[in-house]
Amino acid sequence: MSLRTNAAHLVEMAVCGNISQPSLRYPGYTLDQDGVGAVLPGMSGTVYNARVGDPAFGWAGDHVEPGTSIANPDAAAEFALHYLTCMGNSAWVTSGLAKGARGVVTGEHARILVDFDDATNDLLCPGDTIQINALGRGLALLDYPQVELKKMSPALLEAMQIEPVDRERIRVPVTMALPPRIMGSGAELNSEYVDQDLMSGDRALMAELGIDQMRLGDIVVIPDADHRYGRGFRKGAATIALCIHGDSVMTGHGPGILTLMTCPVPCIEWVIDPNANLAHYFNLGKAA
Amino acid sequence: MTVTSLKSNADQLVSVSVMGQIASPGFPGLPAEPYRLDSDGRPFLLPTYGGIVYNVSVGDSAYGWLADTVHPGVSISLRDENGNRGLNLFACVGNTAVVMSGDAKGARGVVTGKSGRFSEHVIVHFSKADREKMAIGDRIVIRSKGVGMALADHPGVKLKSCSPELIDGLEVTTAPNGRLAVPVVAVVPPHLVGAGSGLTSEGGSIHIQSQDREALREAGLDQLRLGDIVALADTDSSWNHGYLRGGVGIGVIGQGDSPRAGYGPGVTLLMTSATSGLEPVVTPGVNLTSIFDLAT
Repeated sequence: MSLRTNAAHLVEMAVCGNISQPSLRYPGYTLDQDGVGAVLPGMSGTVYNARVGDPAFGWAGDHVEPGTSIANPDAAAEFALHYLTCMGNSAWVTSGLAKGARGVVTGEHARILVDFDDATNDLLCPGDTIQINALGRGLALLDYPQVELKKMSPALLEAMQIEPVDRERIRVPVTMALPPRIMGSGAELNSEYVDQDLMSGDRALMAELGIDQMRLGDIVVIPDADHRYGRGFRKGAATIALCIHGDSVMTGHGPGILTLMTCPVPCIEWVIDPNANLAHYFNLGKAA
Repeated sequence: MTVTSLKSNADQLVSVSVMGQIASPGFPGLPAEPYRLDSDGRPFLLPTYGGIVYNVSVGDSAYGWLADTVHPGVSISLRDENGNRGLNLFACVGNTAVVMSGDAKGARGVVTGKSGRFSEHVIVHFSKADREKMAIGDRIVIRSKGVGMALADHPGVKLKSCSPELIDGLEVTTAPNGRLAVPVVAVVPPHLVGAGSGLTSEGGSIHIQSQDREALREAGLDQLRLGDIVALADTDSSWNHGYLRGGVGIGVIGQGDSPRAGYGPGVTLLMTSATSGLEPVVTPGVNLTSIFDLAT
């Protein structure tokens, strides 16, 4: 049973960005939690071998952004790209060798992340323009007004197989629950902008809770987290989120968790489902 | 608990001048949307960081002010980004500040905190009489001393933004179990550690989350005063701030409460141990005002 929405009234609008070039600040070291510096790839460009559906942990990289990362050099257009793009939106290449190829938006970090198939990735070049059919801002659940949606496309909402429980509550399939005490970097930002890293520095806890099995594209829940206007602790709240980037060696960082749904009171329930992943929902990566 | 005199390398520390100018408050420009949103989405327009704050001082409540993360006393920064980083990293809580220009020239103050991403000020206490004479832009030199300090018997404890005078005044001791015992007014549980996680611990601030007032009360954090010394449980701030079971941070309440989600009173980190080298001892009234005899 699908939920009633206002999707028919949403405005679909083009936004665009260019494939970004990986960049480092001299001398290029990222410090790990022991204070040891390493030069690690992962952000920007096209990551050929990490795609949505692959593990979020274990890469010899930092904040690995699966697929292709795009940004707009004009500041106002860049914020439009960030604020209007929704997860699951369709994207297409508008310049370069891969012109015309289609992809799917899978994340928002400092750049917008788009998944293209391997054959398309071979043809992409930093600077190529990617356009997104932005659709989803304003999306609401008509029968559950207390649930706020963020960066949720109608296509993703449909794919997530959310069920009504009763007149107050819905149930969302997720791969795992994250304790609110491990939510870290990103707390200083408004929740309309990018993600919040889970803090993976307590490696034993990651293993104990199975969080180290997280995959890029996983749908997860953070109980007691209110993400309506910022990201904060609130008993009884719940937030449904998407794993958008890989783990980090930096203290206070880890896989990136992007808000999709949030409610300040107990109205979002969840059920554990190992298939609650963007790759499964959109046939991406190895799921294709 | 055994009181011992702590061996440190304080006599080897370099004391160097870092300068800042009294910062003006700032707001975003056109299209003139001056509002921030509180944790329930209500817009608010209130004083926030920067400037000369005449009526809020270290020792006053951290809560109840109609302001967003107010800085008590005087906030200084430098327009040059790298120079400001030098100021923010080298200034230590307890360092002496001297006014070098303007009508308050020669007045002396004490560094009481730092603010983080989006403002990066050093917060300095001056007497209210001195504040009356100050002007935005006045130059203030911090006689910085403390970066590099280590305690010989506590190699697992890292000191940050911590002056030798603060170590002396805090009356830290070596506990029978070998840990460094530090008096604090309260311990912040990890689920209430908010904005600042993942950011540097060498300067800036990490905030107590105050949105859930009941959780705040349960943790005994609803009566904090500016300048109070607190502990952060299960937090390792060796490099950035982050969650780690057994890690302990010690800091000072440098800024007031905030209506924003993920925010609340700001903590300037002073000490951290990733491996149980610190033992917070809850003791009422541990505040910079008594440690440094600050006139309000």
